[in-house]
Amino acid sequence: MPDINRILVIGGGFSGLTTAVDAAETGTEVIIVEKNPYLGGRVAQLNKYFPKLCPPICGLEINFRRIKTNPLVKFYTMAEVESITGGPGNYNVTVKINPRHVNDNCVLCDACAQACPAERPNEFNFGMDKTKAAYLPFNQAFPQKYVIDSSHCKGDCGKVCKDACKYSAVDLDMKPETITLNVGSIVVATGWNPYDANKLDTLAFSSVKNVITNMMMERLASPTGPTAGKILRPSDGKPAQNIAFVQCAGSRDENHLHFCSYICCLASLKQTTYIREQNPESKATIFYIDIRTPGKYEKFYWKVKEDQNVSFIKGKVADIVQDEGSDDVVVTAEDMITGDKVRMKFDMVVLATGMEPAGASKKIAGVNYNEDGFALPNSGIYPAGCTKSPIDVAKSAQDATGAALKAISTAKSAGQGR
Amino acid sequence: MDKKLGLYICTGCSIGESINVEKLSNIAKNALRIPVVKSHFALCGNEGVELIKNDIKNEGVNTVVIAACSLRVKYEEFDFPGCIVERVPVRELAVWSQETPEDKQLAAEDYVKIHVIKAQKGDIPEPYVIETVKAILVIGGGIAGMTAALQSANAGYQVFLVEKEPQLGGFVNKLYKAVPTAVGEYSEPLIVDPTIDKVIKEVESNPNIKVYKSAKVEKTEGQPGAYDVTISSNAAGSENSEVIKIGTIVLAAGWRPYDATKLEHLGYGVSKDVVTNIELEEIAKKNNGKILRPSDGKEAKKVAFIQCAGQRDPNHLPYCSAMCCTGSLKQAKYVTQNKDATAMILYKDIRTPGRLEYYYKAAQNDPGVMMTKGEVTGVADAGNGNLHVEMENSLLGKKVKIEADLVVLATGVVPATIDDPILNLQYRQGPGLPDLELYDGFADSNFICFQYETRRTGIYAAGCVRQPMSMAEAQEDATGAALKAIQAAEHIAKGIAVHPRSWDETYPDPFMQRCTSCKRCTEECPFGAIDEDEKGTPYFKPNRCRRCATCMGACPERIISFKDYHVDLIGSMIKNVSVPDDEDKPRIIVLACENDAYPAIDTVALQHGKIDPAVRIIQIRCLGSVNLVWLADAFSRGVDGMLLMGCKHGENYQCHFAKGSELASYRLGKVQETLGRLQLEAERVAMIQLAMDEYDKVPKMISDFVDRVKEIGPNPFKGF
Amino acid sequence: MPEQVTTQTISPDLKFVKDIIASGGESLKKCYQCSTCTVVCNVTPDNNPFPRKEMMYAQWGMKDKLISNPDIWLCHQCSDCTAYCPRGAKPGEVIGALRNLAIQHYSPTPLAKMVGDPKYLLMLFAVPVLLFLAYIVPKGFLDISAIPRGEDGGIVYSKFIPIFPAIDVTFGAVAFFAAVCFVLGIKRYWTDLSAGVKVQGNLMDSIKATIIDIITHKKFEKCNVTKDRKTAHLLVFYSFVGLTITTTLAVVYLYGFGYESPYPLYNPLKIIGNISALALLYGITLVVGNRLKNAEKAGKGSYFDWLFITVIAAVAVTGMGAQLFRLADIAILAYPTYFAHLVFVFFLFAYAPFSKMAHMVYRTTAMVFAKHTKRD
Repeated sequence: MPDINRILVIGGGFSGLTTAVDAAETGTEVIIVEKNPYLGGRVAQLNKYFPKLCPPICGLEINFRRIKTNPLVKFYTMAEVESITGGPGNYNVTVKINPRHVNDNCVLCDACAQACPAERPNEFNFGMDKTKAAYLPFNQAFPQKYVIDSSHCKGDCGKVCKDACKYSAVDLDMKPETITLNVGSIVVATGWNPYDANKLDTLAFSSVKNVITNMMMERLASPTGPTAGKILRPSDGKPAQNIAFVQCAGSRDENHLHFCSYICCLASLKQTTYIREQNPESKATIFYIDIRTPGKYEKFYWKVKEDQNVSFIKGKVADIVQDEGSDDVVVTAEDMITGDKVRMKFDMVVLATGMEPAGASKKIAGVNYNEDGFALPNSGIYPAGCTKSPIDVAKSAQDATGAALKAISTAKSAGQGR
Repeated sequence: MDKKLGLYICTGCSIGESINVEKLSNIAKNALRIPVVKSHFALCGNEGVELIKNDIKNEGVNTVVIAACSLRVKYEEFDFPGCIVERVPVRELAVWSQETPEDKQLAAEDYVKIHVIKAQKGDIPEPYVIETVKAILVIGGGIAGMTAALQSANAGYQVFLVEKEPQLGGFVNKLYKAVPTAVGEYSEPLIVDPTIDKVIKEVESNPNIKVYKSAKVEKTEGQPGAYDVTISSNAAGSENSEVIKIGTIVLAAGWRPYDATKLEHLGYGVSKDVVTNIELEEIAKKNNGKILRPSDGKEAKKVAFIQCAGQRDPNHLPYCSAMCCTGSLKQAKYVTQNKDATAMILYKDIRTPGRLEYYYKAAQNDPGVMMTKGEVTGVADAGNGNLHVEMENSLLGKKVKIEADLVVLATGVVPATIDDPILNLQYRQGPGLPDLELYDGFADSNFICFQYETRRTGIYAAGCVRQPMSMAEAQEDATGAALKAIQAAEHIAKGIAVHPRSWDETYPDPFMQRCTSCKRCTEECPFGAIDEDEKGTPYFKPNRCRRCATCMGACPERIISFKDYHVDLIGSMIKNVSVPDDEDKPRIIVLACENDAYPAIDTVALQHGKIDPAVRIIQIRCLGSVNLVWLADAFSRGVDGMLLMGCKHGENYQCHFAKGSELASYRLGKVQETLGRLQLEAERVAMIQLAMDEYDKVPKMISDFVDRVKEIGPNPFKGF
Repeated sequence: MPEQVTTQTISPDLKFVKDIIASGGESLKKCYQCSTCTVVCNVTPDNNPFPRKEMMYAQWGMKDKLISNPDIWLCHQCSDCTAYCPRGAKPGEVIGALRNLAIQHYSPTPLAKMVGDPKYLLMLFAVPVLLFLAYIVPKGFLDISAIPRGEDGGIVYSKFIPIFPAIDVTFGAVAFFAAVCFVLGIKRYWTDLSAGVKVQGNLMDSIKATIIDIITHKKFEKCNVTKDRKTAHLLVFYSFVGLTITTTLAVVYLYGFGYESPYPLYNPLKIIGNISALALLYGITLVVGNRLKNAEKAGKGSYFDWLFITVIAAVAVTGMGAQLFRLADIAILAYPTYFAHLVFVFFLFAYAPFSKMAHMVYRTTAMVFAKHTKRD
């Protein structure tokens, strides 16, 4: 058996990055496999963190810098694990790397994007805008390298992009590539996807205008988002001043996600501050079952509650319709404290959709999952962060650090056991 | 080292078209006397890199200055071991963010010049390496501490575990039953025997773990990698004291329940039949599951659980203890083991986040478990030997009284660190972790992304002393803290810093002969890295240091230096920025923190955002490292204004060195004095708190400052 | 003036909780009070709506708040609440169980408890079986060939079991018993309903409005998940109306004109009777079909429900069967089927005040009350 003091981290979101950096700084070689063209995962899409309201990119930047300065960390983007064989101490992992069509020569000059004739829906902003088919995923993306989306760059589009590049960075001939990695242990940090709001029929995400999800709200509020940070409602671009937050949109629900998604209460509380900051007249109403701000987060709840323009209604929304004759949205809930059924009109409604573990839609052969799609620990394969349980960034970071130790110990002890 | 400089100017990315490279090369060769000056269309390409490598090999170049793009874009390419490598972000700061050809050229010349000076003044780092040990001290033998010990030991590290009680196990020892640590849905039985005995056995039989029971840390002296810890123990009635050498520390000192005697309004101390959740565990454990009420020993059949007792309450604990909702659901199952008994849970919100929701769902599905939301206002005697729990705005009615024969208060978690430093650090700044009042006494991290960071290097908290958490969470937390302790021990052994400059091999090296023992450095160091000897002379403990250079900023004698970062180095850069003679063209220097401010500026420049041509930007480690002499240097040279850009400070601070930007702001308050001496307006210096995502605001922030300086008028020292 | 709030004392009734669970509300403890149920319910009023609060009261065993609560009857068991309940608490089923318990509570005899409990099923059936056997056994009619035929040689059921007294006296007594029980039950119910409530408006208007609601089945239109229930229930309802007319006509024929059965198929009585019977058969088939189809979303229903459905279906099937076998002259099937028909009809009517059949009376009462108090 080879001596493999090397671990694989599947997923380059916040958990994966933390595991990678922490393991590498302890002296272990780390390989990160990330499916997106950039590292950072969901966190990269967030505007601010609760409860500090600080920007996620700040912590990412530090971790990127640690990766850049640490020769023990290697990463692949646009790459997905296809299968895992072997056992603790000696795993063989096949990884498929999809073509980026841009090589290391890229200098970020933007010439390809300027020349590119084709557009693609911007999934980073949940389809609320478009980018060119030659694009940088977002402007603080790491690695700082463009991507050419060949599924949208058809015909002579590729050639136009290629010709625009003075540095021979565009390579249209790149093909998907499969590599095999040999590692001692594996940390699965494939993270989560926002639950598909289309499945919530009473909440009318697809049929009523101006019903958005909490992740879309993050992008709307972000300076790098489709509206450059102005919270404008999608139907008519009017500033959304009176917003409803519908908690547990799909979470704690047998018909959807059975578990509580942990972050949604805090995310909505946080998002009320986005609106309130943009306009002193603005109002927010949170419809909830239980406000879950465990531990020190309670104080963040208090802070938001102090704001007279933020109201809380104990009662889940289960009916959303378009206001007759306008683009406003009418939501219905029971205010359980007064005991009346209320119908209220809002400019926009934010569904606090929960987190569905990546394992619910895509399982990696060789990793065990539970019925919800959360990965299960298995000697040598350790899930971290939201892959294991729904948690926030802070807890993900904490969990990922622990996962690093478990992975290192497995890799090391297998090496010593020979 | 004898330096031979090579300057490499990239002409790609419109640098070549925008500036006069020849002129720049000539300045470098003639004025700056750089022996090797070359340009290339794409330095980052193979050919460009080879060009530099050749010069290193054949020309003896050992100090490489690359005038090209930002370090944030191309990093792997320009790695030349054994050489000093200095990057001049000409593309971003001179070409893409400047508008006129003239401004581009001037900026390029300035930036090349000051970075050449930086390369000339800096040295290759030499790590601080002393004899260290990698053993880990774990304080606290509860589930968190034992997990940290086992995880560290399993990774091959020697562990010393100190527990204050005569036996290991902590609070789990008190429990009658535990919540099963199931993976998926919870099913019966919902209460299981705790498995703590197994863990205790594992710890006590592990050859890598030495356990001290009935013991405490008397004092912790030295620095990470070389701590001398005095442990006193009271085993078998005899006092023992022992000094052990350890590298790093996991603080898992745990918690205690909130003092319920403060909850008289909830009947505690008034009625014997009002008990805390911990007391209920004891009752259940003592009576083998039977819930006998204290007043008359009768089996309780109507048990009311008051959630958040003394929690989420400004008069008591402001936070939520995160574990009590699950705890009461579990204890409700104790009650309903008697099929005629009811357990009534009175809550504000049921908090079973994540997969614990399954536990809520399973535990509430019991005929005897009754739950309602409302605000409990008091507990009163019902007159029949029972109690009335009074509630308002409940789901059962606006005002209700609920009859109970036993009332359980779900009291919260108080960290051990609330009134005991525990560590007993022999640090000049005090025996415990600083700033704990920010976290209600918990030994928590200020950073969302970096959960284990404390202001004491090499010391990592885990479990309920860090945050209120469940047993399962505490185990994960402890594993993370163990990793951090191991990581710090490893880095320190190699003389490398830990987070956030975890690549840095430099360390503060004071020139003590000129020290006046003013103690500013010892007071201001955010990490307590500097002690004082008996005579009051500062004494550096480099392994405690995070390399923010706040001491360097604090020192009026300017004697604290790092190999590649010192007062003279930045001062010389400042002094060599060109100052236009033209009175309409002010010159302003921006000192930007490397963590948030500089990346923000870089981001805006990468997007071709325009930055006022009056400014020159110099990246620094932290605003805490700003020495006021730099202001004097700048103003005496005729610079019209200085702008410090760094992280947010105050509550929810974002400064990665905790105190750096706050200290800078404090020092800036005193700068008036300096400026007054120079007969300059105080407004010529300003500080901006900037988060990295506010890059889009950077151009305006800068131009607003430039406008203010323009209003004040030119620096009267200009031209002197 | 500030609202005067009186403090209620609450002492949970675990026994009542267990009763609800036993009566078909076994999921009630799963409710975590989100009120999805109340929002998706289209039949509840906005003010103090149901069924979320009923779920809370039920979880705490607050019998007083539930038994006399008209809201449990305003519920039409659309099951939208159950379908959308995120917790699987099935509020529709729990409210159904509460109705069962309310019927038991207000019925003046212990029979109600027996009807709701499967262990008494045989005993309940034994009453009519023994009663009718008492007519036929002494005559030796267990031997089918011994049963006399009609003038045209066809099967005549009145020769098997005489209309008078066996049928009419028995069923007359049964009807009287049921009616008395209903009156007593409703009286108690109305007293509880109106305790401390200010009644507004005209009672006759409320009754009129209620009748219109019932004959149009307007409320059922508001159901979502179980939309098709309207047709099914409407068919069953009108078939009962038709069968009532048929029975009335039969009484008139016999006692008014001395005209004895069997009647020819073209007789208006037969026409109405057969159309009603077919409608009942079709209606009850739809009911069963809908229930099975919606079981996953709407819940499977309680024993109490299924007993009622089964008895109605059995009445329809045996009634139709008895006629067909009679016409086809298959004696071996005809007499036993007719016998069974009588047993089921007996069961349906004698136990009406205690079975789900009682819903027509209690629901009507609650609807009148709700209209009278402007709640509906």
